[in-house]
Amino acid sequence: MSLFRLSLRILNQNKGLTRLPVLDQTRCFKRWVAPTLRELRRRQKKLGPQLPQPRSGFIEWNYRAELFAFGKRLHEEFDLEMLQAAFTQPSYVQKEQVRQRDLGIVETDVVIKDNYELSERGAYLANECVRAYLSHSFPNVPVVGINAFTDYLLSTGMLSHIATHLGMTELLLDDNYPPKQESLARSLLAVIGTIEQCSGQEQAFLFIRDFVCTQMNQRDLLEIWGIDDPELMLKQVCEERNLGEIEPRLIGDCGKNTLLSAYHVGLYANKKLIGRGFGEDVATATKVASLNALQEIFGIQDNMRPLNFQAHLKPEIRNAIA
Amino acid sequence: MSNSHLFLKSGFPRAPLQNGIGRYVCQLQRVTLKFCKNHGSSRGMREFIENHLVDFAKENPGVVVYVKPRRHRGPVLVGEYLNGDREWLNCRNANKDDISKWLQLLKTQNGSSSSLRLRKMWHTDVPSIQGPWTPFTLRAPEANVATYPNADASRPLDVEQSATDKLIELFKQQRLADKNKSTDEVLEEKRAE
Repeated sequence: MSLFRLSLRILNQNKGLTRLPVLDQTRCFKRWVAPTLRELRRRQKKLGPQLPQPRSGFIEWNYRAELFAFGKRLHEEFDLEMLQAAFTQPSYVQKEQVRQRDLGIVETDVVIKDNYELSERGAYLANECVRAYLSHSFPNVPVVGINAFTDYLLSTGMLSHIATHLGMTELLLDDNYPPKQESLARSLLAVIGTIEQCSGQEQAFLFIRDFVCTQMNQRDLLEIWGIDDPELMLKQVCEERNLGEIEPRLIGDCGKNTLLSAYHVGLYANKKLIGRGFGEDVATATKVASLNALQEIFGIQDNMRPLNFQAHLKPEIRNAIA
Repeated sequence: MSNSHLFLKSGFPRAPLQNGIGRYVCQLQRVTLKFCKNHGSSRGMREFIENHLVDFAKENPGVVVYVKPRRHRGPVLVGEYLNGDREWLNCRNANKDDISKWLQLLKTQNGSSSSLRLRKMWHTDVPSIQGPWTPFTLRAPEANVATYPNADASRPLDVEQSATDKLIELFKQQRLADKNKSTDEVLEEKRAE
């Protein structure tokens, strides 16, 4: 059979030689596709995982248009030069200087403003405004709690999360891509500083309220503010606020001396029930009951009223911040 | 949902960054319109660019619009969202109304909706009013003062009337008319017999 095929091929070749050389198209299975794809895949695998490409390297990229759209998207009026300064990290300026030096320019004249001063001002403003908003929203929570909430809202992780969701990752001028969390957080603070310079302090507060404080919506507040020893804290709070002596009482139990035992403990002060909790033993139940009592006293229950995100700064606080 | 959707990213509809509580931010950050200048399949895209694109850009200053002509390639809409999603839409042979509708869709959603499988098709604003059940929820007040072992609590809830009980009841009904003797006396007599 193979001999027959070979002879046929030789016959065909002879025929081809006699014909004029013509480029003729044939429709057939493209047998080169799979091997090519396989080879490309092999080379890609050999290169290893690649860094994400910055969007600014694409042909369709207009930094000025992006800056303009950033302001419009957030309904803020920005001076574009100042906004660009807010997005420029000090490390980027240093990188530019090094690049010029490497190119052989002895006297580097990089005049790019970085965001250091703006971010410092923004950090101060953000801290003051968030603190003012939280103390207004949680009037019964002591300073420790307000500090914990403020730290949560102004932590690098939270600020960088907000910054990425405002589309700042691509706009940031940093020495490496993707930018670090710290750079994103600094840059968001610098944007707050820019808003204050462009549209005034009131507008900066509104920005902080709308984008930073709203992150407190529907959060488990006790998860943010981990109270280590709730019984001790409850005792101190009751002394401070003259609520009377705390008396824990067992108000129910079931499945005693079994694996699934449950105890229901109520805390009484001046013969009034101030908190109740469940636990697998009495000590745990008392701890849970203390947490419950603290929640009631501080007004941070799980079913508390939603926070008011339409609040404005009082004039006296505004003057104090400036 | 077919098997091809098994590996699709799944989730719940969520507003990113608590959007809308403070102020509304349009989640479409840039859109790229790719088209060919002389191919027939891009005709609708070209018409859209000529007639409506400037109006769209004016109405939505927060969306950066890029237009990218490419020779002999199909028309494409690419939307990029604030959450990092990128949505690619083929607009081959679409007319300008179709394109403005697709663009409207890109503008109003908060991520690439076609790449998310919804875990649940329903939604509850208030999952529970009285909270999770515990052994102490809605317990009868008498249970607090009862002493155990308790005869009432030990009795089964469904004790059926026995045949003897039924007979006694029938007998009492018969004798109710007879007022001379009380029913208990009659019973005593019968038992003595």
